[in-house]
Amino acid sequence: MGSTVSEGARALLTMTLVLGGTVAALATLDSVPTWLHGQPRGVRRVDTVEDAERRLQTKVLLPSYFPDTLRWPPSGVRFTRDEGGAVALDFLGKDGTPALLLVESVTDRAIPEGLQGRLAIIQQQSAPLGDGAVLARVVAEDGTLWSQLDWSRGGRRFLLRGRGSLEDLLRMARSTHGETR
Amino acid sequence: MSGARWMDFAGQAIFHTLVAALVVEALVRLWKVRDPQQRTGFRLLALVWPLLVVPAYFLLFPGREEESFRDGRALFAGRHWEDLAFLGIGLYGWWILGMSAFGLGLFLLDLVPWMRARGARSPPWLARSPHARPAQEALARAAAALRMEAPPLAWVDEGPPVLFCTGTRRPTVVISRSAVALLDSEELAGALAHELAHLERRDPTLSWALMGARALMWFNPGVQVLVRAIARDGERVADERAGNASGDRLALASGLLKLFRATEGRGPASAPGSHPLAAALAEPIARARSHDIELRCRALLAPPPHRVPLARMRLAATAVGLGLLLFFVV
Repeated sequence: MGSTVSEGARALLTMTLVLGGTVAALATLDSVPTWLHGQPRGVRRVDTVEDAERRLQTKVLLPSYFPDTLRWPPSGVRFTRDEGGAVALDFLGKDGTPALLLVESVTDRAIPEGLQGRLAIIQQQSAPLGDGAVLARVVAEDGTLWSQLDWSRGGRRFLLRGRGSLEDLLRMARSTHGETR
Repeated sequence: MSGARWMDFAGQAIFHTLVAALVVEALVRLWKVRDPQQRTGFRLLALVWPLLVVPAYFLLFPGREEESFRDGRALFAGRHWEDLAFLGIGLYGWWILGMSAFGLGLFLLDLVPWMRARGARSPPWLARSPHARPAQEALARAAAALRMEAPPLAWVDEGPPVLFCTGTRRPTVVISRSAVALLDSEELAGALAHELAHLERRDPTLSWALMGARALMWFNPGVQVLVRAIARDGERVADERAGNASGDRLALASGLLKLFRATEGRGPASAPGSHPLAAALAEPIARARSHDIELRCRALLAPPPHRVPLARMRLAATAVGLGLLLFFVV
């Protein structure tokens, strides 16, 4: 009886190890496409804003004001289901260099780090966009200076980071909620 | 079902079979499952996966196919590989295409010779012949050893050595005059007991079912390989049953070797005008068959394999484990 129990336990342990190894191998295999794209785990690329909306099953709020220094459509559309889901739109300037990043979290939770990119905040103050809104000056990995707005409204959190004028950035942020000025 | 859903079904059927087959083979080796009957049980589990479990997942859990499941809960999603494209087609699509071509190749590799053999003119089978008496007597002895009723014997009076069983509704053992001349009485009794063991297990019916599974899953290389492995296990099971019933494992091994040498063991014949690749393909197949016969003979020379304890519990645990794991693989 005792030997049967120990035989059964050994068999189950072996099976658990084999299945555990399989789980690890499958999870690694699933991460390879995002690694090859240079994206953090959980962040996926799609072709259009509509694709991101379909995958997240929500409407993405876009600014109605769009300065003519930027190119449309976005050069990159990324989304994640982390932190309840968020989408990031990368825009190029007319000169073909990165000029604007809009990240929108579909919940009021923090913007997932995987969509923000690495940067250092050098200056921070409250922004005229409601309670908790923050305006910051940030330095990107390549050493360029950007202005960044971070605010919440209607149960969503937004982040707008641009290299253009601060006035344009504020105008875009307000136009996201239907405000003209 | 839409084209994309068919693609998902094909992709999951192929991938699930591969994972299930690899897990099953790893467990068979680690648990040292050497009894061919027990091994067949495990391999059948991997085989039924694409035939029953994957369709059941699709029918019972349509939510698995939604993007929210794929991006949020799935452990592995083949469609994530669609993000990487080559010549405008995602890598997932290329993988399914490549695997399907491989599966079809493996299927045709067996289907074409089988259809050729069926189409070829073969000598007539006789119900009675005065020369068949030694075979009739050996068959009666083998049937008694296996405690089963002796099936009818079909006699082939000409041609190369032939010994096989056939028939799903009317089981028959077919034997040729040259096979009887080739084998001594112990070898003949052993070889006939082997064929009777196939009939006892209803292997002719099972082989049609397996061929149906292969045809249904022509695109699935895992299924093609598994069916071959199960067929090999079927031969080993019949060897063990016949060896144990006749009590002379050595005679069976010797008969097996003689029949192989007299037929396939002579090596592939060079047919004038045949395709240039035919010889290149025939060589590894012939080598694999001769390796297979060698393994069967080695197994017969060794004592009967030990049966692992708690085989049903192991099988059930493997089925549950795979069911949980592969639910999250889409």
